[in-house]
Amino acid sequence: MSSYLRSIIFAAVLTVICGSLLTLASTGLKEYQLKNIALDKQKNILKSVGLIHDKKPLSLDTIDKLYAENIKQVWVDVSGKIIPEQNKSQDDLPVYLYVIQNNIQSYIIPVDSRGLWGRILGYLAIKNDGTTVSGFTVYSHSETPGLGGEIEKGWFQKNFSGKKILDDRGNFVSVAIAKGLVKDKIHDTRQKNVVDGISGATLTGKFLSAGLKRTLIQYEPLSKKFRNNQIK
Amino acid sequence: MKITRTKAFKVFFTPIWESNPVSGQILGICSALAVTVQLKTAIVMGLALTFVLAFSNLSISLMRNLIPRNIRIIIELTVIATLVIFADQVLKAFLYDISKQLSIFVGLIITNCIILGRAETYALGNPPFLSLLDGIGNGLGYSQILITVAVLRELLGAGKLFGFQVIPDAFYAAGYVNMGFMVLAPGAFIAIGLIVWVQKTVSKE
Repeated sequence: MSSYLRSIIFAAVLTVICGSLLTLASTGLKEYQLKNIALDKQKNILKSVGLIHDKKPLSLDTIDKLYAENIKQVWVDVSGKIIPEQNKSQDDLPVYLYVIQNNIQSYIIPVDSRGLWGRILGYLAIKNDGTTVSGFTVYSHSETPGLGGEIEKGWFQKNFSGKKILDDRGNFVSVAIAKGLVKDKIHDTRQKNVVDGISGATLTGKFLSAGLKRTLIQYEPLSKKFRNNQIK
Repeated sequence: MKITRTKAFKVFFTPIWESNPVSGQILGICSALAVTVQLKTAIVMGLALTFVLAFSNLSISLMRNLIPRNIRIIIELTVIATLVIFADQVLKAFLYDISKQLSIFVGLIITNCIILGRAETYALGNPPFLSLLDGIGNGLGYSQILITVAVLRELLGAGKLFGFQVIPDAFYAAGYVNMGFMVLAPGAFIAIGLIVWVQKTVSKE
């Protein structure tokens, strides 16, 4: 047998063996991984409204319980009307509500933005005044660790809470990410609409600002209803 | 024969201290800088690398007489990549939070020079049992440095170990401040530099 043929056969056999092993592992572990991903989303939703913090590690049951007690998933149609899950049509947008004793505290919008290297997925929670951001979290991204990847860190996310999506005159402006620090770069009157940027990650900030704005515009009918006290 | 004189003992223990892959041969520095901010991630990373290294050494040593010389690097990388992806999948299934913190660094084990280096220089020329020991020894040598650096960085940088506060509040009240520098990558450089210095000085004697 020629040495070429031998190499090719050896490589082919090894590839098949490795491939099948990985397929086995991937299918066998899929269930656990999906459960983890679902749980991570719940955790991020709870985090965006401040129900849990990064510091405390919580058991799976506590998270499940907290989620079931406080969060309700509903849908909104184009006019901003809240629709229960069973009546939803295809164009309706998902939204999560943080409810205490039938009073909506805040509504949580899923964010799906473009990033520098891939999609950024997270949640933006807005208080029931329809204006104030209560929190922002990211559960999936492919930005560079240490640079754009800092969007998943607490120090970046906590800057969002308390920011407004309206300007002084009450016009919609969304929240944006500054290039640098807000107090150096942004005019006083705009500071409440902007959060500190990440140095070395200007583009990630730019894409995320655009993504947040696009998402918030889609949900603007709902936000208006909250602002006009049409939803309690 | 005393156990400390056997070849197996030497194969296992030399890489843990004397010719440690990180502090002796200065390999695998990239991940040693990146995942040592906290003790927890450092330990998981060390375990993942030890697992990959042990089994890549074992399987390559088992196949060492079959592997065609001209494609041996490709074969080695295939074996290593398979093990790394497997380790990554297991972490994603059972230690999701830590796997998120380690992010790309588990995947980057594939390019860690220690693994390909051991496969090339040791596993290709030695029997399976010794190769396995060599793999575990080198893995533990790497983990040992990672853990030492992580203890230094987490303790000095955040006053914590495993995420628990160790430095008492009284210290902070008396004016003690966490060394923010240790949390950043240069802190790891300095910690590793000190370890290399200590090791070189001690093993010279």
